[in-house]
Amino acid sequence: MLVLGIETSCDETAAALVADGHILSNVVASQMDLHASFGGVVPEVAARKHVEVIGYVINEALGSAGKALEDVEAIAVTSRYGLIGCLVVGVAAAKALAYTLKRPLVGIHHIEGHIFANILSNPHIPMPHVCLTVSGGHTMLVYVKDLCQYEVLGNTLDDAAGEAFDKVAKFLGLGFPGGPVIDRLAAQGDRTAYNFPRPLRRSGTVDFSFSGLKTAVVNRFKGSDISTLPVSDIAASFQEAVVEHLVSKTVEAASRADVSAIGVTGGVAMNSRLREVFAERCRQEGHQLFFTRTDLCGDNAAMVAAAGAARLAHGESADLYLSAIPNAPLESAA
Amino acid sequence: MMILSIDTAGRSDAIGLIDGRRVLADFVGDVTHNSLQGIIMNIDAVLSNAGLTLADVDGLGVGIGPGSWTGVRVGITVGKMMAYATGKPLCGVSSLDALASQAGDASTLICSVVDAGRGNIYAGFYRRRGGVTVKQGQYTAGPVEGLVARIREPVLFVGDAAQVHRQTISALLGDLARFMKAGEERQGSATALLALSRLERGESDDALSLVPLYLKEPLVQALAARKR
Repeated sequence: MLVLGIETSCDETAAALVADGHILSNVVASQMDLHASFGGVVPEVAARKHVEVIGYVINEALGSAGKALEDVEAIAVTSRYGLIGCLVVGVAAAKALAYTLKRPLVGIHHIEGHIFANILSNPHIPMPHVCLTVSGGHTMLVYVKDLCQYEVLGNTLDDAAGEAFDKVAKFLGLGFPGGPVIDRLAAQGDRTAYNFPRPLRRSGTVDFSFSGLKTAVVNRFKGSDISTLPVSDIAASFQEAVVEHLVSKTVEAASRADVSAIGVTGGVAMNSRLREVFAERCRQEGHQLFFTRTDLCGDNAAMVAAAGAARLAHGESADLYLSAIPNAPLESAA
Repeated sequence: MMILSIDTAGRSDAIGLIDGRRVLADFVGDVTHNSLQGIIMNIDAVLSNAGLTLADVDGLGVGIGPGSWTGVRVGITVGKMMAYATGKPLCGVSSLDALASQAGDASTLICSVVDAGRGNIYAGFYRRRGGVTVKQGQYTAGPVEGLVARIREPVLFVGDAAQVHRQTISALLGDLARFMKAGEERQGSATALLALSRLERGESDDALSLVPLYLKEPLVQALAARKR
């Protein structure tokens, strides 16, 4: 089944064509440069960009796959979880296309999309497994019972991991987004130079917290002349604390859920140190590890199309009253 | 020529359907802050009540604002995608122009007003010239008092935002201000008729590139510009 996926939940305008687990096209118009000057994503600026480029992005997804709009058999769109003004653009486009072409429509939860980015990358990942979805907008541990069956095991209590990277990078004058630049600097730094706190170590939960860690970094160097600081060492030590927090809670969740397979997905899954430490720990603990391929880690629409195909295969679809819900829980139906 | 129009920039969504100059439907939705949910099924109801489908429509008109930022993006995105998927011509129409065109043969200055939130409005001035409503100068955005302070002659206000700010306007302008009766607006058919006029002049907009008319920058950009 040829599914058109549409994703506009944050700062990427994306459209993709996926047929039976094969990605035919995956177009992402990133707004990163647009938001960099503001030091973060500005919702109204993002929404304006979405409406400006959505048509071009869909057109290119079709063109680069060599398909016509009439070839599309179903339309899947991220309708839940994200910035409301941004979600609205994608959902409006999807509904208009579904109505005009008389094709089934399915609304996808953004986190479910990231889980499917992992499944697209690793079609043979065992079920059940535990999936860490981690980005600038969320940090969540999900027990994936089977396709489209989820239970949230843990969640961030404050900031998302990627947000902490952004805030620390901003404090160190490294610009936006913070993830890639901290990853790069950390490679040349000493990760034992500073002993930043490991959050929620004795909480007894598999939740996350990054706000205190970020504040610890800021407080440690507040008032210092940034240009004199060993930025690489700070980046490496901060990143190490984030990575250890993510890995230890994920491994703990897998043990508690008694599953041996772990998936890692979302923008922060691109982090090289996270990949290294996860590999090391999973080898020690005897877990199978499944990372999302790097080109599907960030927000994209191939993951939305894949999730949509799975929902439709389960007989689920949305009606044309489909709306956008910014903070819906993951378990909700399509 | 059959034209379907959508305008979701105002307090209520408007959908119009015309066959030439004949109005077939003028749908006005409830006052809601969720244009997204009902828009498609409302369009479907307008078409099916007229015994038509989207395939029977020859062109699409879409209100481009100004108005609710999220609201206008719903209608414009729906219009763009319908035009893209059907290949039918698409015409963007200013929501203020569509309001002003409903003032009939007013002999005075016409002022169309759309609410911009927090005591602010978007407005346009018009005069009737040879049976057509002609815009005078640029659109404005700002506090209602600032707009009214520029008026020195009898004026007919159009748009439900004028009703919202009626007390303020009347207090400042007294007898100079007249108001079009609430509930008399026909934004759907007015948008469709202006789209038809544009199509008859050989004009249309590109389905991929059409964007809303916001009239105001997002606050963060306005602040950044001030800093520069």
